[in-house]
Amino acid sequence: MSVPISQMATVTGYVVKQKLRGRTRYPLVLMLEPLFRCNLACAGCGKIQYPAQILKKHLTVEQCLRAVEECGAPIVSIPGGEPLMYPDIDKLVVELVKRRKYIYLCTNAILLKEKLDLFTPSKYLTFSVHMDGLREEHDDAVCRDGVFDQAVDGIKAALQRGFRVTTNTTLFDGTSPLRMREFFDEMMTLGVEGMMLSPGYSYSKAPDQEHFLRESRTHQLFSEMLSNPKRRWKFNQSPLFLRFLMGKKDYECTPWGNPTFNMFGWQRPCYLLQEGYAASFQELMDNTRWENYGKKSGNDKCRDCMVHCGYEATAVDHTFSSWKGFAETVAVTLTGKL
Amino acid sequence: MSLEGWAPQINDYTSLSEVVDYAFDYRGNTTIVKRDGSELVGYIFNRNADVPEPFIQFFDEQGEGPFTLPYADIATIKFTGKDTAAGNSWKAWVERKEKEKALKAAAAGAGPLGRDPRPHGG
Repeated sequence: MSVPISQMATVTGYVVKQKLRGRTRYPLVLMLEPLFRCNLACAGCGKIQYPAQILKKHLTVEQCLRAVEECGAPIVSIPGGEPLMYPDIDKLVVELVKRRKYIYLCTNAILLKEKLDLFTPSKYLTFSVHMDGLREEHDDAVCRDGVFDQAVDGIKAALQRGFRVTTNTTLFDGTSPLRMREFFDEMMTLGVEGMMLSPGYSYSKAPDQEHFLRESRTHQLFSEMLSNPKRRWKFNQSPLFLRFLMGKKDYECTPWGNPTFNMFGWQRPCYLLQEGYAASFQELMDNTRWENYGKKSGNDKCRDCMVHCGYEATAVDHTFSSWKGFAETVAVTLTGKL
Repeated sequence: MSLEGWAPQINDYTSLSEVVDYAFDYRGNTTIVKRDGSELVGYIFNRNADVPEPFIQFFDEQGEGPFTLPYADIATIKFTGKDTAAGNSWKAWVERKEKEKALKAAAAGAGPLGRDPRPHGG
């Protein structure tokens, strides 16, 4: 696993503090969407289908910072839309670094090379580059040829200038485990700090509805991909979450773990489902019927979901809730055996 | 199936609450017809039916807002804007890929392996 010690210590301190305070529901990662605009229209994404006047809008830096303060999570992930198209992305990053927030700037990297001058390398800033596999698979997933090569160029340039770079990969049905193992090798050869993996979620608005992984297929795919992992592979996420994806653990969703804020407000209940918006973070936490979400709830929309934003927080919580969970995390981290 | 073009009548079979839910789920602009007969065009991004005075929230066609409007002021909602989630981009991509594959296959067919094995008859 490859999360820097300072970041691990911050998250550990934060989670322990929440537990000492007796908070059972606390956020771990704020998903901050300053805009919905994107320079890609990927088949598996349901995030960017909006009328033109909505796509033209974006949050102000002040609105973003207010959300960060309200939420209080130690990690801020900036997805979108494409955050490098946000005109104030440099100002936002500077302000978040000042507040010692660990930032994952989730980008397709098409603009990364040309925008690098806007940023200064920092342990708080990571470019999390969307990479859905090797060239052919990635270009297919993003519905445009040449994007894989652009992203690789962006990664190389960022690494050369001392930035932290990770990749994030969404997997769909039909993915070849062998090709993914080759992909892990290639990303490690490129020199990225770590990789993040997640099965895709079947957004009802996504154009492609046929290739989302169902639960049993997810277990099979992740087992085939991650059994006998190579020592050189580094994953930038909880090892217990990866074990969950492999079917070695049974977790329930933590829908409040990664709350989302965008120009519509605080999205209920989670990053993936849009069932309405709350005007404040407190309102989101207090007035969302959390019992209606997760597998045990019987909610059809949650049935096959195993996505990181619902389950990674569960895995992290498990690490700090019991000696068993803690020992398991340490063992997997030290041995590299999933 | 897209709701684009639907202009529902609120009656015994279709309640306003249902239409609001459809409109909330719709990824295009709608025309909100008020009880006083006036119309507002915009994108409905939120609704809450679980409060004493149920309301919708929307941005208008210019992106101004958010505006809040109680259910009580709404006569109906027409699905007048383009459904941006209709899925054409994926379809177009698949069709283009298929065409490219077919062209490549045809080009390969013109090469030595694809040549008619009996070009001179017989």
